[in-house]
Amino acid sequence: MDSLKVNDNINLYYVPMTKLKTTSIGVYIHRPLTEEEVSKNALLPYVMKRGCALCPESGSVFRYLENLYGAGLGSGVFKRGGDHIINFMAETICDEYATNGETLAADCMRLLMSMLFEPSSFDGVTVAQEKKNALDRITAEINDKRQYAQLRCSEEMCEGDSFALSCLGTKEGVEAITADILKEHYDKIITSSLIDIYVCGSADIDALASLVKEYTKDMTFTAAEIPRSELISGRGDVKRVTDNMDVVQGKLSMGFCTGTAADSADYVKLMVMNSVYGGGAHSKLFNNVREKLSLCYYASSSLVRNKGIMFVNAGIEFQNFDKAYNEILAQLEAVKNGDISELEFESSKSALINQIEAYKDNQTTMQFYLLGERIAGTNYGIDEIKDMINKVTLDDVKEAAAKIKLDTVYFLTGKGE
Amino acid sequence: MELKHITSDITGEEMYCGTHPSGLGIYLIPKKGYSETYAIFGTRYGSVDSKFIVPGETEVTEVPDGIAHYLEHKMFDQPDGSNVFDKFAKYGGNANAFTSFNMTAYLFSATSNVEENLAALMDYVQSPYYTDETVQKEQGIIGQEIKMYDDSGNWKLFFNLLNCLYKNHPVKKEIAGTVESISRITPEYLYKCYNTFYNLSNMSVVVVGGFNVNSVLDVIEKGVKKNEPFTEKIKKIYEDEPDEIAKPYAEQSLSVASPLFMIGFKDTDTGYGGEKLLKKYIEVSILLKMLFGRSSRLYNELYESGLINNTFQTDYTVQPSYAYSAIEGESRDSKAVYEAVKNEIESVKREGLSEDDFNRIKKVMWGQYIRSHNDVEDYAGTFMQFLFMGADYFNYHDAYAKVTFDDVKRRFENHFVTERSALSVINPV
Repeated sequence: MDSLKVNDNINLYYVPMTKLKTTSIGVYIHRPLTEEEVSKNALLPYVMKRGCALCPESGSVFRYLENLYGAGLGSGVFKRGGDHIINFMAETICDEYATNGETLAADCMRLLMSMLFEPSSFDGVTVAQEKKNALDRITAEINDKRQYAQLRCSEEMCEGDSFALSCLGTKEGVEAITADILKEHYDKIITSSLIDIYVCGSADIDALASLVKEYTKDMTFTAAEIPRSELISGRGDVKRVTDNMDVVQGKLSMGFCTGTAADSADYVKLMVMNSVYGGGAHSKLFNNVREKLSLCYYASSSLVRNKGIMFVNAGIEFQNFDKAYNEILAQLEAVKNGDISELEFESSKSALINQIEAYKDNQTTMQFYLLGERIAGTNYGIDEIKDMINKVTLDDVKEAAAKIKLDTVYFLTGKGE
Repeated sequence: MELKHITSDITGEEMYCGTHPSGLGIYLIPKKGYSETYAIFGTRYGSVDSKFIVPGETEVTEVPDGIAHYLEHKMFDQPDGSNVFDKFAKYGGNANAFTSFNMTAYLFSATSNVEENLAALMDYVQSPYYTDETVQKEQGIIGQEIKMYDDSGNWKLFFNLLNCLYKNHPVKKEIAGTVESISRITPEYLYKCYNTFYNLSNMSVVVVGGFNVNSVLDVIEKGVKKNEPFTEKIKKIYEDEPDEIAKPYAEQSLSVASPLFMIGFKDTDTGYGGEKLLKKYIEVSILLKMLFGRSSRLYNELYESGLINNTFQTDYTVQPSYAYSAIEGESRDSKAVYEAVKNEIESVKREGLSEDDFNRIKKVMWGQYIRSHNDVEDYAGTFMQFLFMGADYFNYHDAYAKVTFDDVKRRFENHFVTERSALSVINPV
């Protein structure tokens, strides 16, 4: 990976991935996750995407992209611990496949730069339209019950911590935003935030860097850092929450504190532990809760690295709550006791390595991986982390499991239950 | 066996392909520098195939709905009681399977031990083992899967639309069947379907990614079990489907946040596969983008009036025996969106399509094809889907180059007939 510092705030990273037929550019603006600005951050990229000096209205943005053989442009927000990230993504086929000799990657970068530094869409009408869409996105969180149950569990578990906030913000927060407030927020953050730009594929990186410099040369920036994250350490007793909704299948989501920090040398042990426990079709949850007991269609576990959380999710019949709950905890005990077969252990490591190695073939997952490493502060390379996974022992897994404590149990059940 | 070697100057890709004496189709697409390899072993058999005549027989066989999907689940039980996933897990392969309307496929992806994983794939898909007990056990898991779909707004939206568009075609039925239909599934039915549709002459294996062609071919050849290829085709029976739709409107209430809509246009120009089908696919896809894509007049008007948001999207599904295009999204007033879509079609009928739009969107289709080479999984899946329809996705350019503005104008008149359209809506409870 090449790394170019444009100025104190803007870093440009180039990862050559020439075997692929596309080039992807991701822009990541790091903001602290706080109640005060979460809703404004969530609305901002959608408004900025609507028009800029280069393409003044939505129709011209889309025609511009279509002329680049249907280049993709996406925007959104997500959170990594206490880091609320505003994201723009552009992706185009490589110049060599453009039949008329166009310079597609540079044209994509030009559009991104114009959107970032010359937005022209902060008018009342556009902001009102995008506010409505932002509110729809918040309400739509309920549509996918599987994700919704985990979201609710996370919200209950992190009560009092900023991580309880949805990355989409709050209804009240979005409603209170006006075009002026949003413009003011934009002016404030565009020069006072860390901005990472990743380019993956085939590109003349110096030419792209010059483009970024050209757009920012007359601006004054104030230095910024990656927002910090604190681990969720739990309150001692287990919090139990049930919601009733008009659903046919119950969704169980359990939140655990892992006690392992994102930049700790032990984090890799926890990754392997999670893989053994519920990280796929090779795992204990899949084979026992689903296959052996036929209790559910899915049962899996996942980690929230920067907050020290592990979630377990399962879709079950309402009346099977106790059976599933007990089995999920029994399987965790088994991992803590080191009751793990050679096959389970090796499969869990292979699955992780396989997954990470595959990032080399995918520009989006490659960017998310590198960004995740940067936020955690570890900056492990792919081959480096594979080595570390290979060295994890059964005792390491027991050790990581021993620190895990149940914190919150959330159940989404039917109306009459 | 010797495979044919095909290269493409336009994409820089290469493919080795051929038919094994057992009848199995083999397609190997090696990609330089790739870490990942994806292999898919599939059969021309899906949820719509519940009524058929086995080659050599004269009587029609009819089996319970949902059996193709059930069979897929039951392939994971092995005669020696071993767990298939364990075999892949041991070699770091990520294994899965799926059943769609027209195909069932077993697959894995791996970044190492490709040969071992492939041997495991070849072996288990050719080792059926069904008993009363194991068949019974699956009813719990699939019952939960069916219930999960019952709560899914998007799933119901889609099937309600298909039930508007189709009177008889089995594409309107749920892929997993119903709790009632799966309760009638027996080991005998499963064996009957397996012995028919899993005959290797009805199957193909496609491998895409960073692997060695010779050793992969070797594993496939050694992995083929005894098989007597059918000399005639399996006769799949679909009831005659009239041009008319079943009904123009369906609605249902579910716990979704915003109302969802899906508008469908039934394609009546069906009954063929091959390059002709691929060309039709490109034509309709271009039209959907010209009429309803992000740069279209209609999209921008509806978006700015707040009637749609960026969940709005279009898609064309094509098979030899049926095809339809769909326009879906979220809207507080789905009927107004539907009216606007119909009005737009009427206006375009009067004013004509724009050739500039056509030229620009045709480039988008090229970009889409080039992009589809990146992901080994997507590429292999799409390749197999077209293969089973008799079309050659590797040489997409042959069909693409033939698409003219006149073709697209004709297709517009033929495809976007408002009398053959319907609206499905899911409202929040």
